[in-house]
Amino acid sequence: MVPTRVETIAAIATPPGRSALGLIRVSGPATFDLLHTVFAPRGKRAFPARAAAFYGVLRDPADGEVVDQVVVTTFPAPHSFTGEDVAEISAHGNPLVLGRVLGLLLRQGARAAEPGEFARRAFLHGKLDLLAVEAMAQVLNATTAGQARIALNQLEGLPTRRLSGIRARLLDHHVRLEATLNFPEEAIDEIDERRLARDLAAVRADLDRFAAAARHGDLVAGGLRVVLAGRPNTGKSSLLNALLGRERAIVTEIPGTTRDTLEETLPLGDLPVRLIDTAGLRAPGDRIEALGIDRTRQALAGAFLALPVFDAATALTPDDHEVRRVLKEVGCPVVAVLNKSDLPPRLTAADLAPWPVVRVSALTGDGLEGLREAIRAEAAGRGLSHLEDLVLLGVQQGEALERARQAVGRALEGLGTIYHDMLSVELEEAIRALGLVTGEDVDPHTLDRIFERFCIGK
Amino acid sequence: MTGAAREGGAHVPIIVVGAGHAGCEAALAAARLGVETLLVTMNLSTVALMPCNPSIGGPGKGHLVREIGALGGEMAACIDATCLQMKWLNVSKGPAVRARRAQADKAAYRRRMTATLFATPHLTVRQGLVTRVLAAGGRVTGVEFETGVVVSCDRLILAPGTSLNGRIIVGPRSWPGGPHNQRAASGLSESLAALGVPWRRLQTATPPRIRRDSVAWAATRELPGDPEAGGFLWEHRTRRLDHQESCWLTFTDAATIAAVRRNLPFSPLVLENITNVGPKHCPSIDRKVLKFPDQARHQIFIEPEGRDSEEMYLQGLTTSMPPASQREIVRSIPGLERAEITRYGYAIEYDALAPGAMRKSMASRVLDGLFTAGQINGTSGYEEAAAQGLVAGINAVRSLRGEPPWVPSRTEAYLGVLIDDLSTWDHPEPYRMTPAQAEFRLHLREDSAEARLLEEARALGLVPAARTAAIADWLNRIRQEIARLDEMRVSPTGPLRERLTAAGTGGLKKQVSVGEILQRPTIGYGDLPGLLGADFVPGLSAPDEIAFLETDLRYRGYAAREGDRRAETRWLEGLPLPLALPASIAAALSASTRELLAGSRFEDLGQAVRKHCLSRGELAILLAALGGGRTSPPEGPG
Repeated sequence: MVPTRVETIAAIATPPGRSALGLIRVSGPATFDLLHTVFAPRGKRAFPARAAAFYGVLRDPADGEVVDQVVVTTFPAPHSFTGEDVAEISAHGNPLVLGRVLGLLLRQGARAAEPGEFARRAFLHGKLDLLAVEAMAQVLNATTAGQARIALNQLEGLPTRRLSGIRARLLDHHVRLEATLNFPEEAIDEIDERRLARDLAAVRADLDRFAAAARHGDLVAGGLRVVLAGRPNTGKSSLLNALLGRERAIVTEIPGTTRDTLEETLPLGDLPVRLIDTAGLRAPGDRIEALGIDRTRQALAGAFLALPVFDAATALTPDDHEVRRVLKEVGCPVVAVLNKSDLPPRLTAADLAPWPVVRVSALTGDGLEGLREAIRAEAAGRGLSHLEDLVLLGVQQGEALERARQAVGRALEGLGTIYHDMLSVELEEAIRALGLVTGEDVDPHTLDRIFERFCIGK
Repeated sequence: MTGAAREGGAHVPIIVVGAGHAGCEAALAAARLGVETLLVTMNLSTVALMPCNPSIGGPGKGHLVREIGALGGEMAACIDATCLQMKWLNVSKGPAVRARRAQADKAAYRRRMTATLFATPHLTVRQGLVTRVLAAGGRVTGVEFETGVVVSCDRLILAPGTSLNGRIIVGPRSWPGGPHNQRAASGLSESLAALGVPWRRLQTATPPRIRRDSVAWAATRELPGDPEAGGFLWEHRTRRLDHQESCWLTFTDAATIAAVRRNLPFSPLVLENITNVGPKHCPSIDRKVLKFPDQARHQIFIEPEGRDSEEMYLQGLTTSMPPASQREIVRSIPGLERAEITRYGYAIEYDALAPGAMRKSMASRVLDGLFTAGQINGTSGYEEAAAQGLVAGINAVRSLRGEPPWVPSRTEAYLGVLIDDLSTWDHPEPYRMTPAQAEFRLHLREDSAEARLLEEARALGLVPAARTAAIADWLNRIRQEIARLDEMRVSPTGPLRERLTAAGTGGLKKQVSVGEILQRPTIGYGDLPGLLGADFVPGLSAPDEIAFLETDLRYRGYAAREGDRRAETRWLEGLPLPLALPASIAAALSASTRELLAGSRFEDLGQAVRKHCLSRGELAILLAALGGGRTSPPEGPG
């Protein structure tokens, strides 16, 4: 027989490690009953009350020992994150204490929550739409203020509203079309194909923009990969250390010291940049170096921006030419860096045309601000500076959005040649797919909508 | 006919109560399958009556009629033989929504159906009013007539239409009665209620009829039939029908709206002496004015009730206002200024089964041996009723023989859509079939009914073998030609390429099959000799075969894209509830979902999904756990 009881789940909500406070979250129908067995609130207020905070002690009923002094905040259903009864226990932020509290709750009948289970319950109870669930995950994983801002923006539901608006326009055309197909003898205006074509073109453009926003969101969410490349010994690792402001990479005068790629977060205002140092490009001296050079090529292939680093005090070498060839082959955007600007120049910007060039000295720190500015400018130029406009999609959502775009595209191209019954199927496909992106009802409820809109009565 | 069936106080294997469209199909199906069947009607003069509109067909409904014909039901043959007019609807909008609609000669239809019933072996037709269903141990044992006569049976099919505790409403007045001034049937619902069968009240209504001679035709527009529209029966698909009768069209205007407004105080809608809203797709003129106050122009179709009938039906003018109000409203309409009403419109309220009381097989969920068909199950429409009657008749026989019920899939037939939707229909108004109800309608085309149902027709045994053989030959010719075109590969170079580009296709670079060329809507089979030159010898010449081939090829891309969803739907349909789930999976579902899956509120998982009782998250969990879904459908798209 299938059990019908919904389990109550509990988990430590704050990251591992020592801190002033640690949070344990409990959700499910037995939340308050369970707390009654272990929590003794101070003061006269009855526990639990509607959305209130209680100070008190947690006591193990087995031996009567106090486990910790805590604050319990209650969120009765349905006005909670998950939509179920929820309690948040603020305990002292010691991993041992938090572990004992959780252990106590589990012994009293709670189950350890699986990863993402709170968010899943929130979605099942209609507390979050799918874009918000995706955003939730991203807020938690954000490494820069910018990533967090996009995710929070999405949690507010702005992209959902944008997409719902597009979907509503498609629904409007779909219901008109269906009314004519289902009730041919009613006095319903025939579909104006010119108007439909105009609107579908607009919808397609909007979906293209949304898809671009999602691509950009992907880029930003993963961090913009800025790759330092160049022949050995031009000072790539020094530049990495200078930009980060600490000695992250080992720097020696021996060419080819960096053998593997090295990746670090470079907060650049709101922009999340992943700065990647690479092994110098040249004819490899050994197998390890050869593998390192392979990785450099891979890093360049996935780069948002390549920063080939040249030694300003040396004329272009055959290895430098090799670097130019590789970058041209990969085809990623490039800003060339002329390092060692503190030394007498043997190389000028003209030698590196047509690339834009920034002069820096990793040693003195001259020009570093210019380099940061060049990265920011590249991001702005590619539409990534307005973080409010970016969207984060999960893999399935991305696929659904693509299906919607294709269906709208087929409808648009087919207009005038395909039958309206086919056209309607395309619109329905797009509507259904967009519903999958936002988590809105997938079923267009066609007949109900027709009867609402049109006076059917033959 | 057995002697037993002829005499009261005896036993007959199957009794059908009600000889409307559902009852006639049920009785014919059961008797044609060789089971002694007694068909009982309260009035033998009104067999297969059309108490409302004089037409059969239209998008969705016409699809049903063709499927009925494909499976050996009677409605298609009967309307083809007796119609006044036949028409194609939605011709330009695509083969999937294209449908025939016939104007019926009500009297001729009734006469022909009555004659068919009487000519059918194993079928006995009798007049009588059933007032009680007899049962023992949760199983039907027979029926009792108002005369006190008792006939026992093994299976009972109830198809009483709107007569169960029928109440006629005209303005503020109301009285017990059935459609067409017949009697209401009382007692029967009460006896079933006592056995645990749950009921609800539904409502429907019909417009006034007027004297043919009182119409000023000059103010109306003539709507002639289409001699080329063929018929619903496969054999009639290309027949020509001359000498058709016309329908006529007029429109309401501001004067009509004003007349309706003046009379609204007498409308049952305002008086609130009526159970509920009635059919959404067929609102009364008072409701139209209330709901769409800005629309003054409504179509009114004036349709003949029969070739010899003196009366015309006013399609679009349904109302149950008092007679004086009806006169005022009718006479406000251009062309009807001097119209004489021969029968006033009325509303009727009747007992129908409560939601969830019947299965997809048309069998009762409460009482063994009981089947129901037609308006009792919450539908409206002659076509929906006939379709259910056919399924109920077939399944009554199958259950009698200990065979599993025949339940067509909603992925294969409008019949499947109908019975699946009905078994969960919980809206307060009657159900009507339209293409919007069928999610796979590009596959469920009218012209493909025989192709979709050929194997089923063979297995069910209602279609003579010679007929299935003829249909199979026809289908094979088309399929072989499609296969030939698929194998015929051409390089679109030189003149061919130019001609393809001129035909608006473009983009053809590499070698393609001729089948692929025909997937483009702008190129037809008839263009092939011109495009391919003397090398191409057409394999088909009959226009209907060519049309079928072209449609099949044009929809091919859509069918392929629909394939995954169809396979998933079929798979979900095949998971009957209650469903035993491993505890680990159950833990991931909400309490209400677990209850749903453990109960029998729905017959299968597909229904639970369609009724939105599962979140998509939960469905995903189930699909993953039960091994279904997109990646590994249990069978091909078929």
